[in-house]
Amino acid sequence: MEILRSILSEPFFVILLGGTLTASIPIILAAIGESLVEKGGVLNLGLEGEMLIGAFVAFVIALNTRNLFWGLFSGIAAGLLVALAFGYLVIYLKVNQIVAGLGIWIFGIGITSLLFRVFFGRRFPIARGITSKTAIPYLSQIPYIRSVFNQHIVAYVALALIPLAWWLLYKTNFGLHIRAVGENPVAADAHGVNVYRTRYLTVMLEGILAGLAGAFLSICDLSFFVDNMTLGRGFIAIGIVMLANWNPSRIFYGAFLFGVFYSLTSGLQIAGVNVPREFLLMLPYVAVIVVLCIFARNTRLPAAFCLPYERE
Amino acid sequence: MKLGIVVKAVLGPLFAILAALLVGGLILFFIGLNPFRTYFELFKLGMGTHLGITESLKKMAPLLIISAGLIIVFKAGIWNIGGNGQFLIGAIFVGGLAPLLINGSSPYLYFFLLALMGFLGGALWIVIPAILKAKYEINEIIVTMMMDFVALNFTAFLVRGPLIAHPEYFPQTRLIPVGQRLPFIPFTRIHIGLIVGLAVVILAHYFMKKTTWGYEFRLLGENKKAAQYAGVNIKKVTIIAMLISGGFAGLAGANDILGIKGAFQAEWNPGYAFSAIPLVFLARFNGIAVIPLAYFFSFLAIGGEFMSRAANVPVFFVQVLEALMLIFFGVTEYMQKKGKLFWKS
Amino acid sequence: MSEMRETVIEMRGITKRFHGLVANDCIDFDVKRGEIHALLGENGAGKTTLMNILSGMYHADEGKVYVRGKEVTFHSPQEALRSGIGMVYQHLTLVPTLSVRENILLGTNKKFVLPKRDVEKKIKEIAREYEINVEPGVKVGQLSAGEQEKVEILKLFYRGSEILILDEPTSVLTPLEVDDFFKILKITSDAGKSIIFITHKLEEALSISDRITVLRQGRKAGEIDLQSFSQETKCEIPETIVKMMFKEAEFVEEIENIACDKPSLSDEVVLNLEDVTAKNDRGAQALKRVSFSLHRGEVLGIAGVDGNGQKELAEVIVGQRKVSSGRIFLQGCDITNMPVRFINERGVFYITDDRMKEGCVGNFSLAENAIFRSYKKEPFCKKKAILHIEAIEAHGNELIKKFSIKASNAKVMVRTLSGGNIQKLVVARELSHKPVVLVCNKPTHGLDVMTTQFIRNEIRRQSRQGISVLLISSDLDEIMQVSDRIGVLFKGELLDILPRQKATKENIGSLMLGLKNKVQA
Repeated sequence: MEILRSILSEPFFVILLGGTLTASIPIILAAIGESLVEKGGVLNLGLEGEMLIGAFVAFVIALNTRNLFWGLFSGIAAGLLVALAFGYLVIYLKVNQIVAGLGIWIFGIGITSLLFRVFFGRRFPIARGITSKTAIPYLSQIPYIRSVFNQHIVAYVALALIPLAWWLLYKTNFGLHIRAVGENPVAADAHGVNVYRTRYLTVMLEGILAGLAGAFLSICDLSFFVDNMTLGRGFIAIGIVMLANWNPSRIFYGAFLFGVFYSLTSGLQIAGVNVPREFLLMLPYVAVIVVLCIFARNTRLPAAFCLPYERE
Repeated sequence: MKLGIVVKAVLGPLFAILAALLVGGLILFFIGLNPFRTYFELFKLGMGTHLGITESLKKMAPLLIISAGLIIVFKAGIWNIGGNGQFLIGAIFVGGLAPLLINGSSPYLYFFLLALMGFLGGALWIVIPAILKAKYEINEIIVTMMMDFVALNFTAFLVRGPLIAHPEYFPQTRLIPVGQRLPFIPFTRIHIGLIVGLAVVILAHYFMKKTTWGYEFRLLGENKKAAQYAGVNIKKVTIIAMLISGGFAGLAGANDILGIKGAFQAEWNPGYAFSAIPLVFLARFNGIAVIPLAYFFSFLAIGGEFMSRAANVPVFFVQVLEALMLIFFGVTEYMQKKGKLFWKS
Repeated sequence: MSEMRETVIEMRGITKRFHGLVANDCIDFDVKRGEIHALLGENGAGKTTLMNILSGMYHADEGKVYVRGKEVTFHSPQEALRSGIGMVYQHLTLVPTLSVRENILLGTNKKFVLPKRDVEKKIKEIAREYEINVEPGVKVGQLSAGEQEKVEILKLFYRGSEILILDEPTSVLTPLEVDDFFKILKITSDAGKSIIFITHKLEEALSISDRITVLRQGRKAGEIDLQSFSQETKCEIPETIVKMMFKEAEFVEEIENIACDKPSLSDEVVLNLEDVTAKNDRGAQALKRVSFSLHRGEVLGIAGVDGNGQKELAEVIVGQRKVSSGRIFLQGCDITNMPVRFINERGVFYITDDRMKEGCVGNFSLAENAIFRSYKKEPFCKKKAILHIEAIEAHGNELIKKFSIKASNAKVMVRTLSGGNIQKLVVARELSHKPVVLVCNKPTHGLDVMTTQFIRNEIRRQSRQGISVLLISSDLDEIMQVSDRIGVLFKGELLDILPRQKATKENIGSLMLGLKNKVQA
């Protein structure tokens, strides 16, 4: 009873909601990118690796320049670069997408852990004071939901990207190309759509978003970097894309759900719930499995999913 | 003729390994470390010393056992990438149960029971992904990965809570006395886990090649529709393949607890599955090819560990190399298919 | 009149090789403005390759292409389209999940944001001009094959193509749809556009075209200008062309007249379907209360346009798909929703329409493919566990010999075999189990004439030995040639079953389109 009361109290609810939103932002960004590549027929399992590399590079640059913009920018650039490498492997060289994706993932874990030690040794620097929250006037005063309107600037961008991605995919020529290339690349090619270019562009967009997601995690959300800090968020994003049936507009629900459970892990500890910490830490992952199990049964994949395209 | 096939099969992975070493060297160079010295130390400490060789051979066991399971499940076209979690659960089952089983029974029964426990632990951890995959076609990559994180937290809970040996010390399960651990292979300091690993991987190889179940697994992996057409019970085969691979990962956990660690310690996560994935790809899911590659990978791990002290290159460099090998393996596969590399396969 | 027309396309000495095999050998070809030019030849004669070169999909190894007198080299279909050359491929190149409008915009739209109203207006204008009726907003996947064909042509008009290449456009159409389609072609050519019509059906080439070029084994076998024949000499045309297409000695033994050799239907019912209803992969109703009986030793042909429940019908019988209601009996034994192997063991075997992706595994050897249904049986394994490799290979070699499959031995990977030989392997495997009932779904689809005849003869021969065959096919000629009785599947319903003697192309065709429910007795 005591616990319930403390959970429902205004300050606690505000923290929970704010934390939920913050936790869901990297997932939203990564999942938007992944939904675009997958809609174009490419599975990028390297998402996690790209996020990690983005997070690391952004952190190092932000720490040294003490500048949010350069941090985010370099994170994006790093994500883009890795994604381009991935794109070159799977689109041009037609490497098995699972092999390349797993390779990029393990590479991401290894290289960031390696470089972290080379750069910082046994130190764990914290990038303080680089970023701040942007409160929206008036809205950030509303009780209970005020934390929604007091977020990092990147969070607003991420939320705005959801309808933008939907619009891109369903209302623009480029989106038409993506959908055609993922469903029937032979037809798209026959009608003069450049399959390679379209897929490269989706992979690049995805790299930018994955890099931004990583950068948000390391410099906006946490202000530090640790080994493998994405903790499966890349894979969760891939799961959420399936959950959303490859429609960007539905990504928010899945990401929000992850955010709820993620912020609950710290929220319930603060609220003094007597459950071992480890069980709370499991919650987001269990939630993803449960939700996939309920909503993602026998989903229909894009027809050319995971297949490299080759003429003749 | 037969020799030609072998040479052709060896060239691809060899090229991938050399390319990875080259790119790895470039990375070292760019971050200001001396690649020549690093590789020199790596090979000297990993292969040139008695200790390095012994340790490498010891470390082969878990890699071989996990790979045996991965060969089967990957060849069936199912991507179990949560081997780490299954490994940890198998290990904690053994770490928790071994102290209870020590007294009384014969050593054979004791080891058999513990091996079984490890196997069951790993298999248990893949039951949910297996059912979701077989029944609802929910992507196993995501679910096994999620289960991996659940396992990490679950074992952390167990070792800090119910299974903790001494609450005032570093959290770990009760230590298994040295006399109750896996015996050494005669005349060596290498425990018999290596023999188990070799046996298991050879068994897996011939299982896939020569048995009707292996045929079903391969059929499913090549083409699901054709398997259904041929009357294979896809759900059953999917679940069995996944359980076997999870079980082997758990057995590898049992091996490490009984052969090396003696107890399950908090924060312990050797990440063999990360290495085993590139390894089995490089071996093209061929059990015989896994053996030399497992030696190479465990040499890298041991050499990397020793080198990290000697040359001050963090051990994670080895993981980078492994990832690069996997990526270059993909490239060579493509190039061999296209006939751009050496000749067509 | 025809001499006055300008030549818009000229191809000179076109040669194209694939992995050492010559697909086109020094072919000359030309098209005039406003003419319908048929490119005739059997499968594998090189028709599609030649046209793929013209449309920019392939590059010629040798030879030159002139468009309106100017030499051109196309590097992509895009460039050909810019010169006004558009091709409709045999496997339609529409994206089923996109709407008609989106499909038409695909590759033609240059604006970043997709236009809507203007496009729909333009589509409707063109549709009116050429008497094509389609709704721009509908998803292409929901259209019939005939309508999809029209969307393809509409798309070419939208792009302003002056030269239309149509690759076997009628292969998926019913006879009535063909008539409708030909009407559109006539309107098009009257409007001054040129049409190249690829076909292997002589009859169609004769009925629609102004000129016919015949290809045989990658070479040009001859060219006939239909206008140059007078009324009296016209009857000689088919004979001349047949000689060009096949030369001599390539004829296969004809199938004996069925009506004579099969006077009565056996009373023994082997397979019985009662009100079978089933869903397709997307969860939509694919079969609606289908009931029929298959008698011993008969060939029951099931005609229908593709996608009317044929695949689902075959799959429910062999156990690959669940029945949502209704029952299936095999010789009195209920086999509804039983596993594939259970049904196999009781004698039902299946020649699938998808031999490459379902009927075999490309990365398995021929021998391994040959034991799909028997790997758990002696002598191929011991104690249901260990495979007996020698016995498996011996079995593979036996099938090679018996069905004259062109493969050096049973160890070769199936992916290295030709389509015809793969199909022979599938047929050989299914027949080697001595079926009681054989379900065939489009058994000769995409095969050359020789293999087609071989397989049709084999089906007839087997049925006379007492095997009951359910022959599902969208090729009406095949159905008419081989079946004893003919049923028609339309939108998942089995409309009527006629004895062969009462079936004509016309009455079956109108059933296929759903214009009638029953043929009057």
